[in-house]
Amino acid sequence: MTKPIIRIHNIENDEIIDREMTAAEFKIYEANQAAQAEAQAEAEAKEAARQAILDRLGLTADEAKLLLG
Amino acid sequence: MPTTTNYGWTTPADTDLVKDGASAIRTLGTAIDTTTKNLNPETTLGDIAYRSSTANVKTRLGLGTAGQVLTVNSGATAPEWATPSSGGMTLLSTTTLSGASTTISSISGSYKSLIAYIYNVNQGSDGDFMIDPNNSTNLTDSITNYGENGTSYALARSGNRIRTPGNVSSGNTSNAWTLILDNYASSTSFKPFNFYGYYEYTPNSIKACMHAGGNFRSTTAISSLVFKPSTGSFSGGTVLLYGVN
Repeated sequence: MTKPIIRIHNIENDEIIDREMTAAEFKIYEANQAAQAEAQAEAEAKEAARQAILDRLGLTADEAKLLLG
Repeated sequence: MPTTTNYGWTTPADTDLVKDGASAIRTLGTAIDTTTKNLNPETTLGDIAYRSSTANVKTRLGLGTAGQVLTVNSGATAPEWATPSSGGMTLLSTTTLSGASTTISSISGSYKSLIAYIYNVNQGSDGDFMIDPNNSTNLTDSITNYGENGTSYALARSGNRIRTPGNVSSGNTSNAWTLILDNYASSTSFKPFNFYGYYEYTPNSIKACMHAGGNFRSTTAISSLVFKPSTGSFSGGTVLLYGVN
């Protein structure tokens, strides 16, 4: 399986290397991707729950903010 | 033989014979001449004199060159003329963002701050734009204010990385940020940062303005910056990295 390409720019000698991730880098990358997906799902669920409450109350986000402010 | 109070010049005594007057005056004159020269070593227009380690002997300091200022030497023993150190920005690198991450490595530690101008960033997938100093994650404390351009609301979000507070729309090329890292080369203290700019936020292509401030919680000098989208790869973007003194 092809791993993602990463770029490394060494600015001391201006050398640019484009290469595949190493196995160790790929492992970290996959862990980050999973964490990101989890955080994204969590944020979307929170947003959906918030919107559901606003819909039930018949309020816009700005109106709710005014009330809570 | 009597001597003068301040410079110790030899003068004739009241009992000296008149025939020795010429010699006495000559001795006194020579002493005055020597002392005067020691106190006035300047030879050229613009020279100045300062006290040497020997009493009543001054050292000549020749005029500096245009723009130089008078300062104290590194041994803190004497004044000297020196060219004032000038503040300013030095372009260290121009890097095109590519791949799942782009690392700028071997950053010189010779500056007080780093400024990165990041522009025309194009992410291949919707996701956060992130910057990890020394490729370290979870070492940043920050708070981000953001909101849509033209609206009254603003939101805040805390975080543990230098990142956008929401997804950057894929395919958009107008995303631009500035990162300022102060005291980045310190090996004894944390590094405060500012990260601000604009991006198109994924939901409804909202034009998001953001400003994050915080601290890179590490005493290790920062020698690399890793730019990465949270998902996918960069399709474009440029980073101009400056060292600032």
